[in-house]
Amino acid sequence: MVLSKANIGQTFQVKSVEGKENVKKFLFTLGCFEGEEITLISILAGNYIVNIKDSRYALDENMAKAIVMEA
Amino acid sequence: MKIALTGNPNSGKTTLFNAITGKAEVAGNWPGVTVEKKEADLKKKYNPKGINVRVVDLPGTYSFSPYTGEEAITRDFILGEEPDVIINIVDGANVSRSLFFTTQLLELGIPIIIALNKSDILSKRGDVVDKNALSKALNCKVVATTATSEDGLINLISEAVKLGKEKKPQIAPDFAGKDSEDSDRARQRFVDGIVEKCQVKKRDSSKITFSDKVDRVVAHKWLGLPIFFAIMWAVFSFSIEGLGGYLSGYFNDVVFGEIVPSVANGFLEGMGVNPLLQALIVDGAIGGVGAVVGFLPLIMVLFFCLSLLEDCGYMARVAVVMDRFFKKIGLSGKSIIPMIVGSGCAIPGVMATRTIEDVNERRMTTILTPFVPCGAKLPIIALFAAVFFPEKNWVGPSMYVIAITMIVIGGLLLKKIFVWENTSQFIIELPEYKIPSLKYAFLQMIDKAKSFIYKATTIILVCNTLVWFAQAYSWTLSPVEDQSLSILASIGSVIAPILIPLGFVGWQLSAAALTGFIAKENVVATFAVILVATSEESLHLPGGALAQFFTPVTAFAYLVFNLFTPPCFAAIGAMNSEMGSKKWLFRGLAFQFGVGYILAMIVTQVGTLIAYKTPAVGFVPAIVIAVAMAIYITTVIRKAESERHKIGVEA
Repeated sequence: MVLSKANIGQTFQVKSVEGKENVKKFLFTLGCFEGEEITLISILAGNYIVNIKDSRYALDENMAKAIVMEA
Repeated sequence: MKIALTGNPNSGKTTLFNAITGKAEVAGNWPGVTVEKKEADLKKKYNPKGINVRVVDLPGTYSFSPYTGEEAITRDFILGEEPDVIINIVDGANVSRSLFFTTQLLELGIPIIIALNKSDILSKRGDVVDKNALSKALNCKVVATTATSEDGLINLISEAVKLGKEKKPQIAPDFAGKDSEDSDRARQRFVDGIVEKCQVKKRDSSKITFSDKVDRVVAHKWLGLPIFFAIMWAVFSFSIEGLGGYLSGYFNDVVFGEIVPSVANGFLEGMGVNPLLQALIVDGAIGGVGAVVGFLPLIMVLFFCLSLLEDCGYMARVAVVMDRFFKKIGLSGKSIIPMIVGSGCAIPGVMATRTIEDVNERRMTTILTPFVPCGAKLPIIALFAAVFFPEKNWVGPSMYVIAITMIVIGGLLLKKIFVWENTSQFIIELPEYKIPSLKYAFLQMIDKAKSFIYKATTIILVCNTLVWFAQAYSWTLSPVEDQSLSILASIGSVIAPILIPLGFVGWQLSAAALTGFIAKENVVATFAVILVATSEESLHLPGGALAQFFTPVTAFAYLVFNLFTPPCFAAIGAMNSEMGSKKWLFRGLAFQFGVGYILAMIVTQVGTLIAYKTPAVGFVPAIVIAVAMAIYITTVIRKAESERHKIGVEA
């Protein structure tokens, strides 16, 4: 399943991150990579607000589709 | 000794920098405020022994491999200029993310000291970080700080200076898999291990907080946009029509309209100064500069409000709200930030485009950002609104609505004209809200006021003196009775025909617009100088001396023309360096000129027909130009479409 299909409030483990190499690398430095936890906080104005480590980020739908979750 | 400040975006580097150097660099509560390096000497309070210490503030970055342009500046500086000490600011609100970059820095061999910043947020959350354990694990000193209240900074700086004197190379901690192919992952694992040992977290960060609840309102699908417009409208109408406008009115009418000229005249007459010199000083210098300085309160109020807005954390939310709409014109939410910054001054606005990763998106934003009226254009808006629309207090703020409309239309046009594959992705950190600091906003306001006065007494003063001279003398350097025989008139007349389709008749109008390219305030100053010589009526009052050149409709068009044609030379310079290509700079300027020209033409011709039921001056040439433009744009779009078809890219 991908992040864009997740329910609000749910915490998941990241299975993989797809897409462009530089974006993957950037998400990696934030702590979004295989095995890490990510929580979907809200969906606001078409963006996915997530918690990674201790911070909130807004991702657009394309990015949210690129983050694949465990089960 | 050179000390560099590094750390994640929005970890508080610039706040710390301002505290220890006494500078007033712009800080804000969103990632990517600082986009270039800033240098200053250490303040006396932090440098009791008075040794030579330079502090360098660098753009924030999440890692040593840059994602955006400003992050590359940080890497290049550290590798290229080798500072003596690095202060690594670790964001107390997200220690584990910060330490990834920290461990990369430790491997450079440069002595490092860690400022564990935002200690106040840490303790508010109930989290505890074991500084000693952290220091041991990383093999460097750790000092707890709160940059906003200057807590811990004296200790931090004295330790940093001590490190710089010792000149002992930093020894990096070792971890398993450091040299393996997957070293980044090994690094993350190493960091996770440290955090587990050193940080006790009371709070589950994935729980909904107050910030999240606020976000659900201000970044709401439907409410977000109206809230944003309401806030911006409030800021601009408070600056232009409210407190700022009121104080400026007093300054213009009383202080610079009556008191200063009469005092100066009396003083100069008393000294027995040559009447010609007296005219130069009172009419040229004081008249012109005074016409601009009178708008100082307006600028101060604007910057005060903008500082509060930037400091509270709302900017990142605006990016989220606008993303959806900006995607439609080929941009992303990140493009709104340069535009809001640009409402203060277009130069930092254009520079803020560095935080945009995609090069085409960055270029589009660079072209569109100067459409937002900057602080220097504010005097023009305020002057024209006061003279021609005294009862209509919507005219000033409406310029911003037109600006947003033009950004949307301009963006759509650019997207059609230029061919590129849109692969933009949007991600932005949403920092926790904080109560904006009134002290910081006040300091920002004073700083901006100082640079405004500096600009008025240097570049604008020089321009004005030249303008005064040019309107009083002919090419043979003899004084002229009739202004229309002057140097200024002959220069203005060369350009004047181009402006006739816009309904602007007279060399004065083209001369004023021309001086505006040096600094936009000059438009006001030039009118002041030209009119003081020929008219007894006050410049700033409703139906004043300006009324001889404009109807309210053409006045509105003239405003539009000055707002949307290319910005001042300094901003064009910033555009040049951000575009990184002369070809793109030229395209950008041509586009801006085209938009400003056509828009002013439409306002004049359509507006005059509607309001006065008769065609304006230059109606026929205007139609010819409109038709030619329409044909040109359709051909360009057609060409772009066929090119897009060839390489298989969607618009």
